[in-house]
Amino acid sequence: MAMSEKTDKALQVLARVSDKDGAGLTPEMELVADLAIDSPKALELLVELEEVLEVEISDEDAARMETVADVLAYAGRLG
Amino acid sequence: MPEIEAEPAHLIGAIERASTLFPERGISLMDRRGRLAEKRSYPQVLESAQAAARRLLRRGVEAGDRVMICLPTSWSWIESWLGTVLAGGVPVAVSPPEGLGSPSGVLGRVDGVAERIEASLLVCSDRLLAPIHEHRLETLSTIATPIGELEELLPGASLPRLDPAPEEVAFLQLTSGSTGVPRAVMIPHRAAVHNTIACGEAIGRPLGRPVWEWEPSSLVSWLPLYHDMGLVGGILFSMMNGLDLVLVSPRTFLGKPRTWLEMLSRVGPAISPAPNFGYQLCLERIAEEERAGLDLSQWQVALLGAEMVRPETVRDFSAAFESSGFSPLSARPCYGLAEGTLSVTFDSAGTGLRCASLPAGAEEGPREVPSVGEPLMDTRVEVVAADGSRLPEGQIGEVIVRGPGVFLGYFRDEEATAQAFRDGWLHTGDLGFLRGGELYLTGRSKEILIVRGQNIMPHELEWIAEEVAEAGGSCRVGCFSIPAGAAGELPVIVVEVARGAGSSLAHLDREIRSRVGRRLSLPLADLVFVQRGKIPKTTSGKVQRRELRARYLARQLERLHGDE
Repeated sequence: MAMSEKTDKALQVLARVSDKDGAGLTPEMELVADLAIDSPKALELLVELEEVLEVEISDEDAARMETVADVLAYAGRLG
Repeated sequence: MPEIEAEPAHLIGAIERASTLFPERGISLMDRRGRLAEKRSYPQVLESAQAAARRLLRRGVEAGDRVMICLPTSWSWIESWLGTVLAGGVPVAVSPPEGLGSPSGVLGRVDGVAERIEASLLVCSDRLLAPIHEHRLETLSTIATPIGELEELLPGASLPRLDPAPEEVAFLQLTSGSTGVPRAVMIPHRAAVHNTIACGEAIGRPLGRPVWEWEPSSLVSWLPLYHDMGLVGGILFSMMNGLDLVLVSPRTFLGKPRTWLEMLSRVGPAISPAPNFGYQLCLERIAEEERAGLDLSQWQVALLGAEMVRPETVRDFSAAFESSGFSPLSARPCYGLAEGTLSVTFDSAGTGLRCASLPAGAEEGPREVPSVGEPLMDTRVEVVAADGSRLPEGQIGEVIVRGPGVFLGYFRDEEATAQAFRDGWLHTGDLGFLRGGELYLTGRSKEILIVRGQNIMPHELEWIAEEVAEAGGSCRVGCFSIPAGAAGELPVIVVEVARGAGSSLAHLDREIRSRVGRRLSLPLADLVFVQRGKIPKTTSGKVQRRELRARYLARQLERLHGDE
């Protein structure tokens, strides 16, 4: 996956929230099942993404985030 | 200060009474940064709820109709819920899909509830309409009404003058049921009014006067409004006791726990409730340097309820935030359940957390058991043995409750109601003992897993695993929870597989975790595969979850691995 500045930031947030090493995250990993991101952590993830990406994430966009790839793709679309 | 008038006879009276008795107070809704978005006085709250009631009547809501409300914390939620009461309907709040992933899992559950309670309307966010139709949710497709559409209706003429009897159902509160679909707890007007007044009396006891006689005070809450602690403990409690309610969405708190404490630093004297995990989350997510600038010296009452109170959380929180002015004396544990409207016992001493050691001979439980206080006024609490006989102080048994805050029964579920009520006593399923007139809780209902404040029935997880493993026939699945560090508890699933299934275990592992994650937003602490017959069962074939848990913790389960 091509890494823009935004996707790189999103990856760092994912690594921090899930307490994992960024290099250990693969695109197909599921946020809940594989990264143990439960409901409170999911909201922490959204708030942190909003801060580093400087956007407000809509409920519709949040609903499409199930895997690492989904989050990176979202960040990637921001350019 | 206004003198308390005679208790209102019903919730409609209570909503009107807040407007006449406490016209200067009201509800403040905060934005996502915890800053004031809008304040409405109780007269304004009443006016907007009346307008909502007239729109609901125009939409065809009739007396006794169940109106489901599936909205985030917002004015629309408050207007819809209170408006349904004023229109003579029965509001039923359901948890809206929030956070990550598709809303289909949540909506599927809501559909099951709607069918069971024969709801006539679902008030939901506009964005939920598409997934409801897309997933062909039968009941919801016919009753879903987006809030935007409802708010565009012209209000109907005038509201009928209603005077419901104290025993009439005021609202339904959803709680985990043993069949997978949540049960609907029927709360009568009598219970809603009594419980909120009784809590105001108990909270005020250390200060020598009930909450409604206090100087202006606020109640700060981030608790979800579909939960009894957010609805009864937040909205109804504030309206009844004349508090300024400062409301922020759970999403804001969970995203940034510091927001809660920042609000408490700003509003002046305040009461604020949270389950244990809320305090724990502050410890985990507010770094030491971020504690600077917080002023918690005005936080008069820090309520802890809804799940087991962990003494170490209270002590750690007190130590961590002492320099911010937090007083350990303000920590006030309480105990309650949806079937008791909200609260059953309340720490009314106000001398800080008090613990007893676990009575000798107890099978399991925490070493240190915190007191959750005394029964509320007019309420009796006893502890009974399995055969129903009363136990003396100091002996652990099932907690039973009798009093005006107790519910009417489960909506259209006579069997479950008969199980919960015996000889006029509510059997809670929770375990504890009495000492010096106070209740010490040693375990909540054995079956329920409480994960991060969310109640989950073990079979919800077991069914998902069975579906994937196609177990359920001769092979079984068992689920229980274990302590998972500071996070509290997380579930473990044990799956029996037939001989020769070794090669597919990796696939099963992945698929079960994935489905549990997608449907319940829940990670697993562990997933264990064992040989067929290794899960302990009763003679009638029921999985013995406690025994399974004990064997797991003693490392007596022989795990199968992918290559076997």
